[in-house]
Amino acid sequence: MKLLEIKNLHASVAGKQILKGINLTINAGEVHAIMGPNGAGKSTLSAVITGHPMYEVSEGEILLNGKDLLSMNPEERAREGVFLSFQYPAEIPGVSMVNFMRTALNEKRKYHNLPQLSATEFLRLMREKKAMLAMGDKFANRAVNEGFSGGEKKKNEIFQMAMLQPVLQILDETDSGLDIDALRIVADGVNKLKSQDNASIVITHYQRLLDYIVPDFVHVLADGKIVETGTKDLALYLEEKGYVAYN
Amino acid sequence: MCEEIVLKANESRDIVIVNEPNVRLRISQEEGSQLRLHIIDWQSADNDVHIEQVASNCVTEIYQVAYLKDNQKVTTHTNVRHLVGGGVSKQVLRFVLSEHAKGDFLGTLYIAKDAQKSCAEQSNRNLLLDDTATMRTRPQLEIYADDVQATHGATTGQLDENALFYMQQRGISRQAAERMLIVAFLSEAIETIRNEEQKEKLLNTIDSIL
Ligand SMILES: Nc1ncnc2c1ncn2[C@@H]1O[C@H](COP(=O)(O)OP(=O)(O)OP(=O)(O)O)[C@@H](O)[C@H]1O
Ligand SMILES: [Mg+2]
Repeated sequence: MKLLEIKNLHASVAGKQILKGINLTINAGEVHAIMGPNGAGKSTLSAVITGHPMYEVSEGEILLNGKDLLSMNPEERAREGVFLSFQYPAEIPGVSMVNFMRTALNEKRKYHNLPQLSATEFLRLMREKKAMLAMGDKFANRAVNEGFSGGEKKKNEIFQMAMLQPVLQILDETDSGLDIDALRIVADGVNKLKSQDNASIVITHYQRLLDYIVPDFVHVLADGKIVETGTKDLALYLEEKGYVAYN
Repeated sequence: MCEEIVLKANESRDIVIVNEPNVRLRISQEEGSQLRLHIIDWQSADNDVHIEQVASNCVTEIYQVAYLKDNQKVTTHTNVRHLVGGGVSKQVLRFVLSEHAKGDFLGTLYIAKDAQKSCAEQSNRNLLLDDTATMRTRPQLEIYADDVQATHGATTGQLDENALFYMQQRGISRQAAERMLIVAFLSEAIETIRNEEQKEKLLNTIDSIL
């Protein structure tokens, strides 16, 4: 079943054309890796899927389970199940993780006509997901990402993903900044969240992450287009040869 | 409101002033006295606070919160005077302005020649929620002693778009996200209210007027 369909997507930022006709179909249950040189447009694609206001779509469409994403605002897309693990997560001084997470979860539940979580249910969920990602106790009372190390921020992204249980999860260079143990824990977490009803886009520069999160397909994005699609062997090939063939 | 207050030696006093249109405070602090003053405005106000540390080891804390819109105006003049050394003063001022609101802060800090080992801090941070609001900040430092620690900082900016998008990406509406950022911004100055009941009430009130 088609979970995500991107058709002929063109987008620009600050007047500069970045995405030049992206076509991508992802079925439920699949993991797709996107690789490609710096500046190719990988993060731009994430920004456009999630509805970042700076990016302008001039052509094409994006459907999530048949629904038109481009007509929704960012928060509606998130509540429909789009989740981005940011390449550079924002810091939010003064807003505690607990307050942030409770608000996010409850706004999503309200959107789906579900009752608000009780304090006990919420805390149990927090505890469970924290344990899954081997996160310390103290972080829940800290402000969102404030003073977190690079690796802690990335772990926190996956923690939030576990809390929100998205339909489409986009991991934008989640592996960068993670130490070897954290990489394994995060990858295990991502694998546990995998189901027949969701799908993942994993953006990475390194084959290593794909040893843990095994992709069904690997795409090469270069200069705003998907220039090649293959299976996990393509990542091994790229690791060895680089992107010269696509320049 | 117009008052002259003397804090006796080692006396500790908390004062919370909410929405007083006209504040004239003259406070004199004796040896080791401690003052914690909160001025909280979501209506127009003119605040003038003059505080003198006339003996050593005094602590002066001033917290000002202003949340203004619709042509409201708050003017605050603090004049903190370290006449004798060994005292501490801390000023935290937070203005959030929109819809042609105006904020004006003049912060005079005086440290007398013999008031060595004084420690003074002044922080004024402001948020403009649209481009019709204006803020004027004038720190005025008159420091005549050489062995002191004095810091001051003033910034005026907008809500962090990056943080807002991050929150929206987690399903939080734009409006709720803005509210959370504003509350977070103001609470730094409100959290220091020692009376828990009063603090909760104020935080709730502010949340409801946002
Ligand atoms: N907000 C912006 N303003 C101006 N240019 C931008 C902006 N965002 C992206 N770009 C430009 O768009 C191009 C694509 O950037 P993007 O971040 O999508 O690349 P990427 O494939 O994610 O690269 P990397 O592997 O380095 O993360 C780059 O040339 C970048 O400079
Ligand atoms: Mg990128």
